[in-house]
Amino acid sequence: MQLPPTIPIEAEPYPFEWTPAKCALLIIDMQRDFLEPGGFGEMLGNDVSQLRRTIEPNRRLLAAWRKAGLTVIHTREGHRPDLTDLPPAKKIRGRGTTCIGDVGPMGRILVRGEVGHDIIPELYPLPSEPIIDKPGKGAFYATDLQSILQHQGLTQLVVTGVTTEVCVNTTVREANDRGYDCLVPEDCVGSYFPHFQEMGLNMIKAQGGIFGWVTHSDRLVSVLS
Amino acid sequence: MKRTVAADPYPWPYNGDLRPENTVVLVIDMQTDFCGVGGYVDKMGYDLSLTRAPIEPIKKVLAAARAAGFHIMHTREGHRPDLADLPENKRWRSQRIGAGIGDAGPCGRILIRGEPGWDIIPELAPLPGEAVIDKPGKGSFYATDLDMLLRRRQIQNIALAGITTDVCVHTTMREANDRGYECLMLSDCTGATDVGNYRAALKMIKMQGGVFGAVADSAAFIQAISK
Repeated sequence: MQLPPTIPIEAEPYPFEWTPAKCALLIIDMQRDFLEPGGFGEMLGNDVSQLRRTIEPNRRLLAAWRKAGLTVIHTREGHRPDLTDLPPAKKIRGRGTTCIGDVGPMGRILVRGEVGHDIIPELYPLPSEPIIDKPGKGAFYATDLQSILQHQGLTQLVVTGVTTEVCVNTTVREANDRGYDCLVPEDCVGSYFPHFQEMGLNMIKAQGGIFGWVTHSDRLVSVLS
Repeated sequence: MKRTVAADPYPWPYNGDLRPENTVVLVIDMQTDFCGVGGYVDKMGYDLSLTRAPIEPIKKVLAAARAAGFHIMHTREGHRPDLADLPENKRWRSQRIGAGIGDAGPCGRILIRGEPGWDIIPELAPLPGEAVIDKPGKGSFYATDLDMLLRRRQIQNIALAGITTDVCVHTTMREANDRGYECLMLSDCTGATDVGNYRAALKMIKMQGGVFGAVADSAAFIQAISK
């Protein structure tokens, strides 16, 4: 099926002029340690079901996106095994007994190459889909994401994943400052905290869309299928 | 106690604060495809002597720096296997000279991460604990976590080695200098494919009182750090 070059997508605060050929689906940090029962997230006392409800909408959107032959990029938060890219302030934050780099329920916590650091099987990247390993919350800092977007001629991002107020928001803000248009499907992003889920989305669409647009994935999937 | 390397145009570093804790030896792109026997440049029939000349001096610098407990980091130029990070014009230019990035070469796909030809030559293989930076460009700061690693370790001084002097080493030195790092080019630990470019590149550093930093040879550096 041939998509029109530009498609208006119903969104808040106003329709998003979607240009599929110039738009990547950017899936943030759908990692086992954050989403799976028994992982690091749950170990810290978080309710992973708040994040797990995003898996099915993401899976549907990803399938439609791939079928249309559009660009997909995934991110993972994590550190080098020797932790040389781990700021001391991040390491000690929370005063937990188990912290980043320690052995957790699925290998060393937030360390690249460990089982818990990898992406959940439901959304596992295809070999052709770049994975951005990021040491921070934002996907642009200390990574090659911008270089990839530039060389592929991409100017828009549909941003999904977890968590809404932390890594999704930071990445949307970084992208916005760099001139990228961001659309966030609310059912494909999740937070451990319902209040932050709501406020995280509000902050994106406030003041005429100060950081971007918010929609529902049905509106994208229905165009793609 | 102040400590400096006898360098040109000034004793380096500028503030005399040369310590293992705040100084890194950064070895740029000593990869098989660029300077290894049987690598791409070798198979193309080019003379490897200029880019292999730095190997022995770098070995000595690494041994001395390791013994004195200095930081050591390495870089590799290369691209993701799907080429998502490869600029179209870089690909076009490489194809034009018969060395298309991503095409099959004598040691695997040319300049692709994970291929044998892309890895660092065995003579200068990184030791465990020495960070390796994979960079898609000529500069080591662009699209990498190098700046983060340096700041995290509170490194201020960078001694540069590797190839080629006028391309990747110089670009990295300029990027580092603009970010406030104090840079030293180790003259015999670097090489270019053209001797004229090598000499000019060293001279450019020393203009205007050291516009990008200073230049010293490996003997002077080793003497200073082994004190």
